[in-house]
Amino acid sequence: MNVDGKLKLRKFLKEALEKHGDQGELSDSESLFVSGRLDSFSMMQLVMQLEEAFGLDFSTVDFDVSLIDSLDEIAAFVDANASA
Amino acid sequence: MSLPSAVPSGDEPAARLGARFGRVSLRDRLAIDERAPVVVASQTWLGQSVIFLVAVLAVSSFEDWWQAALLVGLAMAYARLPNYRNGLLLGGTWTAALLALCLSQNAIQDNIRAMMVVENVHDVSPLALGLLAMAVFFVGAWRVLELSRRDKTLFVARRPMLALLGVEAVLCGLCSLSVIDGLPRVLLWSLLIVFTPYLWFLAYALADQRSRDASPPIFQMGVLRPFWSPTFLPFGKGAAFLRKTFAKSPEELAVTQIKGVKLLLWANVLLLIKIALVWAFQEQLQVPSLEAAQDAFLAGQSHSLPYAWAAVILSTAKFSLQIAFWGHLFIGVARLAGFRLPRSTWRPLGSKTLMEYFNRFHYYFKELLVDFFFVPTFFKMFRSYPRLRLFFATFMAAGVGNAIWHFVRDIDLIATMGIGGALVSFESYAFYCLVLATGLGLSQVRMSMGFKPSLSLAGRLRSFLFVWSFVVCLHIFSDGSRSHSIGERLAFLGSLFGVI
Repeated sequence: MNVDGKLKLRKFLKEALEKHGDQGELSDSESLFVSGRLDSFSMMQLVMQLEEAFGLDFSTVDFDVSLIDSLDEIAAFVDANASA
Repeated sequence: MSLPSAVPSGDEPAARLGARFGRVSLRDRLAIDERAPVVVASQTWLGQSVIFLVAVLAVSSFEDWWQAALLVGLAMAYARLPNYRNGLLLGGTWTAALLALCLSQNAIQDNIRAMMVVENVHDVSPLALGLLAMAVFFVGAWRVLELSRRDKTLFVARRPMLALLGVEAVLCGLCSLSVIDGLPRVLLWSLLIVFTPYLWFLAYALADQRSRDASPPIFQMGVLRPFWSPTFLPFGKGAAFLRKTFAKSPEELAVTQIKGVKLLLWANVLLLIKIALVWAFQEQLQVPSLEAAQDAFLAGQSHSLPYAWAAVILSTAKFSLQIAFWGHLFIGVARLAGFRLPRSTWRPLGSKTLMEYFNRFHYYFKELLVDFFFVPTFFKMFRSYPRLRLFFATFMAAGVGNAIWHFVRDIDLIATMGIGGALVSFESYAFYCLVLATGLGLSQVRMSMGFKPSLSLAGRLRSFLFVWSFVVCLHIFSDGSRSHSIGERLAFLGSLFGVI
């Protein structure tokens, strides 16, 4: 994932966190979903965002939340699975 | 340092306004977990003793004092003795399960006894059958977890929820279709009764086996109905979630324990509110129970409209307070053990949409439905139609998943009603799930289309009235009495609006 993509992703996640009343910092390796900072519905919003932006197909992946639990993990996941 | 909130906060503008005028809000006064001296003091022997005593007092509203002391002591020992954690967790959880089976009047023995009466089996004790079933379940669960960890291609490893519901259905079928009679049927029934409360915990444990960083087997077995929440619903989800949320430093642990005590005290406040409501409305003003109001309506002796409405609203309030009380109690004790878990209920009155209400009211129930019904559907179905995809996945979770969870929870009714009777009497709750799921699905789609509820006072009031009118009216169909049909409940609802 390029720098621009990661910046957009960070913006999306920060907005989601703010919607959850979480104004805290977000580091690249910080857990988002397993830690409870974001809930499962936010995860689905993220999935839709990733599908749209990077042409990912989650139905072909043996999905586990730890695959997209932090900014770093999302970037690695996108790099490994993006079709475009 | 604050515990992450799982649900949106809606009070920031009000808090900022208060701060601007130099007022210290009650919330700020109660935020003792944010004061460094308190956090430091709570880590001393004296601080720990105070936390223990207050927590025991708070939990005593639910358990006998000695059980409360054991529970709180176990939780705090788990937090403070890292070298013994696995042993304490496994031993505590399964000892609690055995004590619950052996020492008190309990549902497991009652349900086994009910089938023994049906099958005319009298020469074994229900306790012995319960203990045997628990031993079989323990060994079976351990073995299944081991197998699914070793071979991830097994069906139970790939589709844990389907596999477990399949086992439940087979056991249920064997016990209810008179394929087997006498002692063998009672034995299978005992296994079904012991297995059922563990079903959703085991589903989380099996799902965790697939993750890259699976939890150790002892920890997995220790959080199957862990000692802090011996219920049907996994408060704190599964082992993976619990491990990630565990406090990572002495300061975090101290803050988590203080938050735990606060939550336990808040649970007691809610209990007091519930008692006060019952005293004021039921005992002083003679507002009937929902069931009594429906009975009176059906007998042609309806209460006056204000009393009938009061019955519905009071029943909803009591139910909501009870759900919040349970959740706070379980999460409070889990926090004493060091798990930084989000609250189960978080200001549901502040919900601006139906979806937000569902998220705020019963967080761990919603998470379970999302994890096992929403996510699999969302990934597989209608991928080219985003709105239909969102609606259908929400429907599968809040409708189908919700109905399955509640039917499975009340599986014991099969002993007395038979499978047919249990299904027929479930029609009203199934209808409730259908309407709730449709409402939530539409709410989700509306949000995805960019709808943002107004944050003005009038807008908030409108949202409150819409959300809670929906919840109160729908509550008529969700009460657990199973004594009225859909038609009777619809007629009662119509009478509240003067239609019938």
